[in-house]
Amino acid sequence: MKPSEKLALLKQDVELFATATPETPLASLPDWGSLAILLIILHLEEKHRLAVAGSRLRACRTVGDLLDLIP
Amino acid sequence: MHSSLSHLRIAGIAVTTGSVVRDFLADGLAAGLDRAALERTAKTIGLRERRVAAAGVTALDLCADATERLLSEMGLDATSIDAVIFVTQTPDYPQPNNASLLHGRLGLSKSAPAYDLSMGCSGWVYGLHQAALLCAHGGAARVLLCAGDTLSRLTHPGDRSTDPLFGDAGSATIVEKTGRSAPLHFVLGADGLGAEAIRVRQGGARQPSGPLNERTDAEGNRTHDANLVMNGADVFNFTLREVPSALESVMRHAGYAPATTDALVLHQANRFILSTLAKKAGFTEAQTPMAVVEHFGNQSSASLPCALIHGLADRLEAGPLKVVGCGFGVGLSWGAFAGEIGPLTVAPILMFPR
Repeated sequence: MKPSEKLALLKQDVELFATATPETPLASLPDWGSLAILLIILHLEEKHRLAVAGSRLRACRTVGDLLDLIP
Repeated sequence: MHSSLSHLRIAGIAVTTGSVVRDFLADGLAAGLDRAALERTAKTIGLRERRVAAAGVTALDLCADATERLLSEMGLDATSIDAVIFVTQTPDYPQPNNASLLHGRLGLSKSAPAYDLSMGCSGWVYGLHQAALLCAHGGAARVLLCAGDTLSRLTHPGDRSTDPLFGDAGSATIVEKTGRSAPLHFVLGADGLGAEAIRVRQGGARQPSGPLNERTDAEGNRTHDANLVMNGADVFNFTLREVPSALESVMRHAGYAPATTDALVLHQANRFILSTLAKKAGFTEAQTPMAVVEHFGNQSSASLPCALIHGLADRLEAGPLKVVGCGFGVGLSWGAFAGEIGPLTVAPILMFPR
């Protein structure tokens, strides 16, 4: 899947990515925090059948890092 | 592990909460957080108020109050109890256990054994299974199950990912032997490799005391070694992995389907997790009580009986209801159950001290 397709899917599920690009630093997103991580985990599980450890999610610095977790 | 136990019933439940009301929005504003962000979190997670224990009040006090009110409501004498099981991870002392202290406080019979189970959010189901075993196979006719914690004391006020979630409460459940043969079904499991996901490092034999080693995570949340520290992401991954399959398994044993089951009662972690689990298990939100967290906070092992009372009291008193439930959390561990509950006695949710 292309990064643009992954991001479009993510935007459907997680509102805080509405205007994000792959370069956007996660820390710059309003509402970035533990709740956002839960929403991402649910998205990864439901749309990609992926379970990603919390430590790998927390190591992501940009939206692109997050998209790279998805094969 | 699966087991089906028959000739027993849940005869009564009661919950007592802490008496100090904490307001999520007011607390967040006082900590200097943005109102709009707090309101968005409150809506998604379902946080509004929680009730925590007043200074000096412990899980033992809360459970003792719930027990006394329940026995009075049921017209029972404490000496009629054949065993007491106390589920807690915030006991009064390392020794003796809370069950023994409660045994003495209530004046239970010397022939009644009293022991603790060290379990958290899944613990009410483990205690129910234990009480059911004593009734089905252990020669007890009436077992008192107490389950409760004061987890709000263990979180760091600077840990915004955990501190706003927890309320303090104690529950009492009476399980009795009966002639009714319809079984209660249980599916219990554990994932010890996930033990680090929820932990309190200091206070046990491995690290009894010493420097608290305060640290700050990437999001600015502060914790130290004597705090309850939760890796919310890993706990949520675990919940998504294990709870739907445990529910499916216990419903298969019971021969239940979501459409013909009256209620799905889950450990009240937060509204977001509960609505996700209900959807995955094929239940509607109307079948799934999920308002305990916004009124009382996450009450650890007391949250399941609190959800039964808060969401279903009238229907349980009239009973029977076909109920499926699951507790899940620290360990990591989970316990699912399915069966008919009610008619039973319900004592209302009250604060202590009043």
